Amino acid sequence: MIKELHQKLINKEITAVDLARCYLNTIEEKDKQINAFLSLIEEEKVLKQAEQIDEKINKGENINLLEGIPFAVKDNMLALGTKTTAGSKILENYESSFESTAVKLLKDQRAILIGKTNMDEFAMGSSTENSAFFPTKNPCDLTRVPGGSSGGSAAAVKSEMVPFALGSDTGGSVRQPASFCGIVGFKPSYGTVSRHGLIAMASSLDIISPLTQSVEDAEIIFKVIAGQDSMDSTSLNIPIDLDKEKNKEFKIENSVFGLPKEYFQKGLDDVIKKKVEEAIKKIEAQGAKIKEVSLSTSLYALPCYYIIMPAEISANLARFDGIRYGGVKDLKIENLRDLYFKNRGKGFGPEVRRRIILGTYVLSSGYYDAYYKKAQQVRKLINEDFNKVFKEVDFLITPTSPTLPFKIGEKSDNPLAMYLSDVFTVGANISGVPAINLPCAWENNLPIGLQLIGSYLSDYQLLQAAKLIEKIII
Amino acid sequence: MDSKEINHLLELARIELSSQEQEKITLDLEKILDYVKQLQELDTTGVEPMTGGTSIQNICREDEVHEQKENDELKKSAFNTEKGYFKVPPIFE
Repeated sequence: MIKELHQKLINKEITAVDLARCYLNTIEEKDKQINAFLSLIEEEKVLKQAEQIDEKINKGENINLLEGIPFAVKDNMLALGTKTTAGSKILENYESSFESTAVKLLKDQRAILIGKTNMDEFAMGSSTENSAFFPTKNPCDLTRVPGGSSGGSAAAVKSEMVPFALGSDTGGSVRQPASFCGIVGFKPSYGTVSRHGLIAMASSLDIISPLTQSVEDAEIIFKVIAGQDSMDSTSLNIPIDLDKEKNKEFKIENSVFGLPKEYFQKGLDDVIKKKVEEAIKKIEAQGAKIKEVSLSTSLYALPCYYIIMPAEISANLARFDGIRYGGVKDLKIENLRDLYFKNRGKGFGPEVRRRIILGTYVLSSGYYDAYYKKAQQVRKLINEDFNKVFKEVDFLITPTSPTLPFKIGEKSDNPLAMYLSDVFTVGANISGVPAINLPCAWENNLPIGLQLIGSYLSDYQLLQAAKLIEKIII
Repeated sequence: MDSKEINHLLELARIELSSQEQEKITLDLEKILDYVKQLQELDTTGVEPMTGGTSIQNICREDEVHEQKENDELKKSAFNTEKGYFKVPPIFE
């Protein structure tokens, strides 16, 4: 889609101003119902950027592939000139104080930021219902959730309010909403994209990830935002020669795809099982080798995640003190202690409080070894299991979500049921490997997603495979 | 988990909750802890803990002095500042 829009711009079939206007009009028309955006950039500022690009095109100058392409960003990434609320009351008044690296890299290409999208508070949730402001609706069925936590970004891309958006994926927060909305969501290998300016949830798991209409678009965005950054010491210099990679043609008949049997057992909706198996048959019919494999420790990825992630949250969210980033307005405060307790009690919603307390518990003396250390050891075992399986197969295929998009309100009173939404996605975060959601079927107008997982730092190979597979399966 | 334990955790995490909210969170935490308990089924004797998301270690930069300008942007969201400082209520009575 991005390449098509770019062609239209350079062929002067459409102006950058018209393109921006077209998306702004769609937002105006659709977002009253969908509620994907928390804030929008002023129309005047957006159109001014577009005008400058039109001037360049009219003068016959070359433009970048992303130049003049509008985009949206999940509201946990700082972008100068916008508020960054992370979907929380405690940051309701926080004006971004610097530019996150991923947003800066896109702006350097002169892509045009048009808004910030809704999310579960601090990226904690699988439905976007945990936003402190309002829930977002699934464009495929307005009575259902768009998934989460990057539900605003997914809904905005699905309803063509933007051609692409950034989200963040800590346990499935880009792939699961992509699955629920029927679009592509690509979680790169941990460390390939700088986290600078992404409000930290669980630092050893978080990664900024694109949500797009196609794998080709995901690859375009990934190439721009990936790279080492002095502001994030866990960011990597990916040792991959892009052009060489591009020339090496991927052949499906030379590839082995593993089906981890644990991902096709209990807890998986029958319809999803059937449709994903049909998609696998189509891939097999193209000459790919399909092999059943076992990832026995991956069944423990979710409980492992629910120790490591809250532990990191309890540390990362300690900075929200009601002082430095603004806080809850009109509190009656007596002393400093009171200020902390009231801001954090009233400023954080129930799910955020639950995870902070859980994290505090697993890190507290007497419980550290039994919970946190144990979980880190299990994480190692899961990681070894993934390493081992990728010696046998090139990629893994699994369902992305165990259920179809659920109704708004259906799971909001049952935290554990909500947590199970991430059961197939969380393993990739625990072990740091890349994974992508591809829409593979529809059931009663609801999309079903297939997840393709690659080995650590095989991002470009994974994207090449995904590009072929997305055409085969739907 | 009893109310004494919950109060201790709330104290550590600096979060004020109503008694009703405390009851709810206690029930939720019990369910979650019961769920994560299954990790105990795995034998992890002698397994080195995986402490981060990446295998890279000790990335060091040169220890150089950089001039950093006062960044007013960092303070503009605070409710209460004075002369470039954050202003907070009394710490000691």
